[in-house]
Formats: sequence, structure tokens, C-alpha cells
Amino acid sequence: MFLVAVILILQEILEAALLLSVLLAVNQQMGPHLAGTRKLTLHWYAAAIVTGIFGAALFAWAMPTVSEWFDYAGQEVINALMHLVVIGGLYTHCLLLQTNARQTPGPHIGAGVALIVVITLSITREGAEIFLYINGIMGTPTAVTPALLGAGLAGGIGISAGILLYYSLVGFSRVVTLRIGLVLLALFAGNMAAQTILLLTQADWMPYTPQLWDTTGLLTEYSVTGQLLYALIGYEATPSLAQAVSYVAAMLLLASTPLFRQSWR
Amino acid sequence: MRSIRQFLLLGALAVLTLFSFIAALRGYQSSMQEAETLFDTQLLDLSQLVANLDVGRVNNDFRLGNNLAFQVWEQQSLLGASHQAPAIDMTPRVQGFDFANFDGYRWRTYARFDEDQNRWIMVAERTDLRFVLAENVVLETVLPILLGIPVTGLLIWLIVSKGLKPLIQLSADLQQKPAHDLTPLQPRETPRELVPVVNAVNGMIQRLGAALEREKRLSADAAHELRTPIAALKIQLHNLAQEVDAHSDSFQQLEQGVERMGHLVEQLMALYRTSPERFDEACVELDLHALAQEVVARWYPLFDAKQQTLELLGDRCLLRGDPFALETLLANLLSNASKYTPEQGRVQVSVLRNADARVEMVVQDNGPGIAAADANHIFERFYRSEHGSHSVPGCGLGLTIVQHVAELHHAEVSVGPSDFGSGAAFRVVFPLQDPR
Amino acid sequence: MKRFRSLLFPMLIATSARAAAPELTLVIRDHLFFPSTLEVPAGQKVRILIDNQDPTPEEFESYPLNREKVIPGNTKTVVFIGPLEPGEYPFFGEFYPKTAQGKVVVK
Repeated sequence: MFLVAVILILQEILEAALLLSVLLAVNQQMGPHLAGTRKLTLHWYAAAIVTGIFGAALFAWAMPTVSEWFDYAGQEVINALMHLVVIGGLYTHCLLLQTNARQTPGPHIGAGVALIVVITLSITREGAEIFLYINGIMGTPTAVTPALLGAGLAGGIGISAGILLYYSLVGFSRVVTLRIGLVLLALFAGNMAAQTILLLTQADWMPYTPQLWDTTGLLTEYSVTGQLLYALIGYEATPSLAQAVSYVAAMLLLASTPLFRQSWR
Repeated sequence: MRSIRQFLLLGALAVLTLFSFIAALRGYQSSMQEAETLFDTQLLDLSQLVANLDVGRVNNDFRLGNNLAFQVWEQQSLLGASHQAPAIDMTPRVQGFDFANFDGYRWRTYARFDEDQNRWIMVAERTDLRFVLAENVVLETVLPILLGIPVTGLLIWLIVSKGLKPLIQLSADLQQKPAHDLTPLQPRETPRELVPVVNAVNGMIQRLGAALEREKRLSADAAHELRTPIAALKIQLHNLAQEVDAHSDSFQQLEQGVERMGHLVEQLMALYRTSPERFDEACVELDLHALAQEVVARWYPLFDAKQQTLELLGDRCLLRGDPFALETLLANLLSNASKYTPEQGRVQVSVLRNADARVEMVVQDNGPGIAAADANHIFERFYRSEHGSHSVPGCGLGLTIVQHVAELHHAEVSVGPSDFGSGAAFRVVFPLQDPR
Repeated sequence: MKRFRSLLFPMLIATSARAAAPELTLVIRDHLFFPSTLEVPAGQKVRILIDNQDPTPEEFESYPLNREKVIPGNTKTVVFIGPLEPGEYPFFGEFYPKTAQGKVVVK
């Protein structure tokens, strides 16, 4: 049960931790250098994490009902919707960060709200699975200790990876941090889009599209590196055409924000 | 980076956690693999044992323990089996290891063909039980790594705190250093990394002190040098008054200009006459109230001319101070009060001991008061309020002198609203002094 | 554009799509899959009805099939797979992978 808990929780926590540290690093580099702007304080992030955890508990609790919606496609549809909102939230956040820098002093409320939406939904989506798993494990007393140990180990690895990513990002100059951070956010949006397509295909709401390539021989998705790359840039060993197209489209959407273009000028 | 301590603690802890946890995970995986091999070997041995059993005498009550099962087949007839074994082949008739589901569990199976007896021997072990068994052993080795992290975190925190102590001490020393204190820093312990910082700061303090001294001397010398030509100018002006129309506008303005220049030079002299080095020599025991009485009497005509009331409250207050400097201080406050208070206004001087038994001198008026925006700047040299009327003459040095003298006496100057509803109150609070 | 409309009217499309796909049932009991081998025709979309009869949740997961779905305890759910090339595609229950193992065999 230990390894199961490690893999399961690492999958979920790593993605959220990496996203959080990239957002923190980008925001950290926005504030003090631009006239009259202030950074979003840590309270915004804390609020987002707390609402995310509550959201995850709620989603886990409602899962049996949600599963049966739309002729058993409820889970996929709701998850796909959340993915789309996260992409929209990331886009809005980057857009408003830029507007904020040019106009009003102080943290931009819109950018803050978009940030909260992105983090909350990411944690809700990922966390619900952890809640369901832990809840199921509680019924098997012998499995509780190994599972909790596994959760601790996975949590430690996930959070440490997030901290190290954050410190490496803010270690660069402002422009480089913004460049790398925004590219990572764009890749993350691409990942979300590809997952949306996958979910809709799984629920048969989207037609099958042919598989583009198979890199399982090169790097399996379930290896540690594979998991890390999946969490960071949405690595997929066997992507379909629709997944690849949507991935690129979401990336281009993020790359179209003035902030992104400015960081590469 | 917001905090060095936070960065060192979180960075070190994150690196340590990441690598030790991944190592633990690797250890777990390889140990579990070892355990699997071990269990498989046992299963192999079990098949050997079963092959040598006299299966004819084994009935369905034969118990191996709940975690093990076996079957012995000869062609299609089941010669013997343990109680959980199914009625059909529990694994395909292929020599080797495999997995199978029966009796509500998943089993690791091993099948072997005994050529001597022409029999298939099949043995199985419950995967869940053997997995739990192995995991409990392996987890014992992972646990200390997990539990060690909080302890390590605490230790790193202590080490980082200890390492940062000289830096924190140095910044506290710098922060507590009063603005006029130009003595060099002397930290108790200076690690090698901080020596350049301390040296640089001390060098800067030294240069700053020298520059200030030069500036002072220059101003004082300049003021002193200007006195003679101004005096000469005044005599020339007096002589000129006999020759030209002394009531003409141009002449009046010329006279006022020379007057103002003289005043400025006097003020500059007053500002630099009282230097800290000479202060101790000039210090005597004096009664501030009596001193105030003298100054008030001397300045009374100025107030009378504007029909302003000037009152002095208070009682005998003894303190050590430079009488000439204190006179200048009060004179400047009075001149200020008169200037900024309209005709028929009210000015009050009080010299008292306050609730803390400290000597307090307050000069308050019922003029327009001081705008909040100005309150922070009025003691700066040559600062003149933009809010007040520019018609009021002055050079902007008066309050600087007040502050300078107060600082020499280690007194605190503050400005606030007066008790008269409108106007300003300047408050000079002297420190407690040992009665001698 | 047609695809966009299908997103707006999901029920219609889902119903019509389902009619075409052959259906298989996969039961989860005691953290085991029954049957543990699913035989599926090649080149066809297949609807798999997963019936979790355990009180605990399970997650159907397969890397080669690119499928991942949580099934809460005592509920059913549906996963569409394919069309697939002939071959073996293992799947497992992510919450109890030691016992919940199975494979899709495409012929």
C-alpha cells in the first residue's frame, strides 16, 4: 500500500506544487520592478489552497453522484470543464498581470481572482482522488500506516520539488524568470488542453483520432522521470492527433498574451 | 529572495528531503523485489515438498495455512489439493510462475511437471498476504528517514540561526545607531565574511564625519567672514541715506535685503557656535524658568508691536545646559511664534516639570498651525513651508537651530497642535538629570 | 463545427455513439477484476461498463490505453476504449494494484 500511496499522491501533489511555484515565481518577479504595482500577497495563495482542499473534499463526496451524470460520463465532463476553466484562468491571470503593471497601482483584483480560480480548481481536481483513496484505505486497518507513510513521503517529495523549482526560478534575473515561468505556464495550459481531449474521448464525447507516436520505449509514463515530466509539461508517451493539436493551441493562447510577448522582446 | 534564513532553511531541507526520500523509495523498491524473489524461491521449495507428498493420503482437510494452496493433477483427475484450491486448474499447465485469481484472492502460482510420476504440481501463495509481510519489514527501514526530516529541519534551523547571528547583530547595531553618532562600529565578533562590510561601513562613517566637520567649519567660517562686509555695508547704507531719498521704494528694499542678510549670517553663526566639543565647557547649572523670563522680557516689544499677548507660566526648573544656546533656542521659537501668529494673537511659554519629572518647555500659539505634510520637514535646514504665506520673512534656519541645541542637551523636540484650538505647540523635553 | 455542436448537445451524440459500440462488463470484487482478461475486436470502439461491487473506491488505469477513471465504491461507470490494433493492453486498479490486474486482448 506504501508504493501505491506514494505514486498516487505524488501524481496529484506534484502537478499542483509545480504550478503553484511557477505562479509564485512569476508574480514575485512582477511586482517591485514595475512602477506603482504591488505583488499579490501570500494570503491569496493560502486562500486558494484552502478553498482547493475544501473543493477536493466536496468533489470526492459528490463523486458517486457525479459519476452517473450524462450516462456515466459525468466525471469526464466535469473534469474537462474544470480543465477548460483552468486554461481560461491562466490566460486571464497573465493578461491582467500585464494590464495591472501598466495602469492601476496595487494588486489587481482580477488577476488575484484568476489565480485563486486556477489554484483552487487544480487542487480540487487532483485532491479529490486523494480523498477518495484515503477514505477507502481507512476501512483496511493494516493498510493505514503504510498508506500514511507513503502519503508523507510523496508529500515531502512534491513540496520539496516545488520549493526547489521556485528558488531556481527566482534565482534568475527578472526577465529570464518571466520567460521560463511563462513558458512553463503555457506548457501547463497545453497539458490541461490535451487532458481535456483525452477525457472527452474516454467518455465518447469526442471522436477517436489516430495516435501520433509512441515513445514508451524511450521513456515510460509511469517511471519517476515520466511522472515528473507529466506533471511539469504533460508528457504523454502515446498522444493522439487531437491531443497534440489542442496542446499547441492552448500554448499559443498563452503565448498570445502581451506579457508573454514582452518577456521575449 | 525575501529572507536568507528562509532560503537556507527551505532550500537545504528541500534538497535533503528530495534526495533522501527518493533514495528511500528506491530502497523500498529494490527490497521489495528481493523479497519477491525470496518468496518465489520458497514457493519453488514448496512445490518440491508437495511433489514428494503421498497425495493419496491427503484429504480436503489438509491445511497448509491460509496463505498457501496446492493442487496435484494426474491427467484430468485431481489427486489432492488444499482446502482453498478451486476444482479446476488453478494455473495454466505451463512450467513456471504466474498469477491467478481464485477463492476471492489473487495468488502467485507456480506449476511444475513431475516427469517421474507424470503429474502436474501446482502451488500458490496469496499475493496480498506475502506483500503485507514483505512491506512491513521493508517499511521499518523507510520509517527512520521519514521521521528524521522534522528533526533535521529543526537542526538546520538552529544552525542557520547561529550562522546568521553576527549578521543580525550587525544590522541591529546599525539600526540602533543614532543619526549623530559617528563613532565606528565595534561588533563583538566579526566572522571573516563580515569583516569587509564592517570595514567599509566604518570607513564610510569616518568619511561622513570628516565631511560634516568640513561643512560645519566652512559654513561657520563663511558666516564669520561675511560679518565684516555686512557691517561695512550697513554703514555705507546709513551714509547713503543722507545723500538720497531714504523713503524711496528701492532704498527701503535695499535696507531690508541687507537686514535679512545680516540675520541669516547671525543665525548661521548661532547654529555652528554650539558644537558638541565645546558644549561641555559651556555647560552650567541654570534655572530654565529664569532664563525664559529674561528672553521673554527681551522679546516683548516685538509682540507688543503686533498687539499679541505673550505669557510665561511655570516655576523654577534646574538643569545643566549652555545658557547662551538655550537662549538662542527659545528666541528662535518665540520669533517663529510671533511671525506666524496674526495680530492680537496669543503666545504662551511654559517651563514645567512634566508627569515623568522631566523639564519641559512648551511654546504654543493660536496661529494657523502646521500642516501635517510639513511636520516632518520643518526641522530641515532651509525648509520653508509651501502651505504658509510667503510674505513671512525668514531664512529657514530657526528650527534647525532649535533642534541642534535640543540635541546637544539630549532633549527631544516635537511639534503638535496647541491647546488654543488652533495653532502649533513646540515642545522641548529635557532628559532627567542626576541632582548634583 | 459539427463537433462543437456535439459538445452543446451531448446527450444526443452520446446516445447515438453508444448504440454503435459493443459493450463489455468488468466487475470489481474483493479488489480483483472479473474477468481479468477482456477480449475485444480490433479496430472498433468498445464501451466497457465497470461495476465496482466493493465498498471501497477503485481507479481503473491503463498507460497503453491512456485511460484513467475513479469508480467510487458500489457504483458503476463507463469507459470507452479503442479502436485498437491487435495486441495486449494491460490495465490495473491504481488503488489496489497488487491484486487488481487485468488486460485487454485485442484480436
